[in-house]
Amino acid sequence: MERVEKPLQTKEITLNMGPQHPSTHGVLRLVLELDGETVVKCTPYVGYLHRGIEKLSEGMTYMQALPLTDRLDYISSMANNVGYCLAVERLFGIEAPERAKFIRTMVCEMTRISSHIIWLGTHALDLGAMTPFLYSFREREWILDLFEKLCGARLTVSYPRIGGVRNDVSQEFLDSLYKFTEEFPRRIEEYETLIDQNRIWLKRTKGIGVISAEEAINWGLTGPTLRGSGVNYDIRKKFPYDAYDRVEFDVPLGKNGDVYDRYRCRMEELRQSTRIIRQCIEKLPEGPIMAPDAPKFTLPPKDRVLADMESLIHHFVLITKGPMAAPEGEIYVATEVPKGELGFYIVSDGTGRPYRMRVRAPSFVHASVLPRLCEGGLVADVIANIGTIDIVLGECDR
Amino acid sequence: MTVQELVKKVFFVEILKGLALTLSRLFTKPVTRRYPKEKRPAALGFRGLHALVRNPATGEAKCVGCGLCAAICPSRCIYIYTKEGPDHKKVVERYEIEVLRCVYCAFCVEACPFGAVVLTPHYEYSDYSRDNLYMTKEKLLQNWDKYMGEEGYNYFDKFWNPKADHFRTPKEQPKWRKS
Ligand code: SF4
Ligand code: SF4
Repeated sequence: MERVEKPLQTKEITLNMGPQHPSTHGVLRLVLELDGETVVKCTPYVGYLHRGIEKLSEGMTYMQALPLTDRLDYISSMANNVGYCLAVERLFGIEAPERAKFIRTMVCEMTRISSHIIWLGTHALDLGAMTPFLYSFREREWILDLFEKLCGARLTVSYPRIGGVRNDVSQEFLDSLYKFTEEFPRRIEEYETLIDQNRIWLKRTKGIGVISAEEAINWGLTGPTLRGSGVNYDIRKKFPYDAYDRVEFDVPLGKNGDVYDRYRCRMEELRQSTRIIRQCIEKLPEGPIMAPDAPKFTLPPKDRVLADMESLIHHFVLITKGPMAAPEGEIYVATEVPKGELGFYIVSDGTGRPYRMRVRAPSFVHASVLPRLCEGGLVADVIANIGTIDIVLGECDR
Repeated sequence: MTVQELVKKVFFVEILKGLALTLSRLFTKPVTRRYPKEKRPAALGFRGLHALVRNPATGEAKCVGCGLCAAICPSRCIYIYTKEGPDHKKVVERYEIEVLRCVYCAFCVEACPFGAVVLTPHYEYSDYSRDNLYMTKEKLLQNWDKYMGEEGYNYFDKFWNPKADHFRTPKEQPKWRKS
């Protein structure tokens, strides 16, 4: 028999990663085209967790729409609530009292810690380090217990309110939070002992997913993902809201813009957040926790409802129809959530419900940079790149 | 590469440090719990299963059927049906909460001007059928007896029923030491 020589054929294969892949941090689906080990093309598909939050909010009063924002980035619900409340407050032209501002700043930073330690645990787990995951969830549990003490819920807190916060902080809560700030820096050192210099960790993160400062800005990255490339942009510093202009903190910056630098940025942010929380406890002023001079926008105290007519009317109208005398207009307010810049764009037509609410979710923008980070790299580094941009699909798909 | 770095690299210093840390954890108290056997108490004001408050004077539900809780509920899972009673008073015929659709925001508690609905600290109520989790008025009153009982009134006064002075700052403020 005659032997026929065939030239060896090479073909790119298509690999479908997700939406159930555990390392995609939710339900992200990536379609990868591979040439051997190299990623030639990467296409992210989003939308598996779409619940129509923007549309839903159009049928709700401003107060009712608050629990929806919990479900955007469900691991930092407190920061989302604060962002939403701030946007609505600025739209209405009211302001939360000082004490409420400090409490909000404090809980926002607690959220930042809890979000960053989840990120650290899962990111390290994806890259093969199992132990930091177990250790970081120990501290997360502590923070969730504190949230439970504060408002009765652990994850979807719905604690801030338009014009203030739901209830005052107790002495016991402040005590245990203070203890947390004393203990937490030691725990950060523990995480660092485990992975900071570990040679496998360094090999998997250094020089991977590099993005230059200019490119990072062009892609619209925000938060630690942007600061890892050395761009000094933090909304808490540039456009301070709540009590951020009265506390001292530094903005940690990276240099090389690779996975390792972004990891270092977030680790430093943990320390800065602890610092902010401690200052908030120390400086916590006295006073009311709900805007006292805005009866048309905030619920009256319960025992006045059945005692005087005006409060009763306000109570009924606020609950059934939403805020009275909401001005017409539109507003965009951005806040620095753990993932980056979360913006609420609200259009009001003067009724008690938002005419349109648009959410600028950092995860959505960050997911779009994935092809840029992954293409040309190895297939094993795709996981590192998904982890490093820190996305949550609840926020991405809304 | 300096000598120091070389030594570190050859002797796996950083890895040994990490291993020493995990080894030392072997001798500390575990932070986990054996859940079904060992339960943690829910914090004061925990947002769990719903209950209707029983009026201690009459033994009936406090609810007057004003419908505010149904109006504020973001997931629209409270249904109230009222009718005219014998002395031309409004009576609540049915009061139902579809617990499976609730998001536990506690807005219903905040909205109720009478303090008639409450979230209890009970959270273990999974079931095999949806019907068992469709709370009727009787079930909600039973929830009050089961999970709040007599203590419920204190608990309710303390946390769930914001009064004017709850919105003020407590008199004694902590004297935090400056670090
Ligand atoms: S807790 Fe919230 S979602 Fe549940 S019944 Fe009350 S208002 Fe509705
Ligand atoms: S708001 Fe209170 S009194 Fe009114 S219907 Fe609801 S539970 Fe009853």
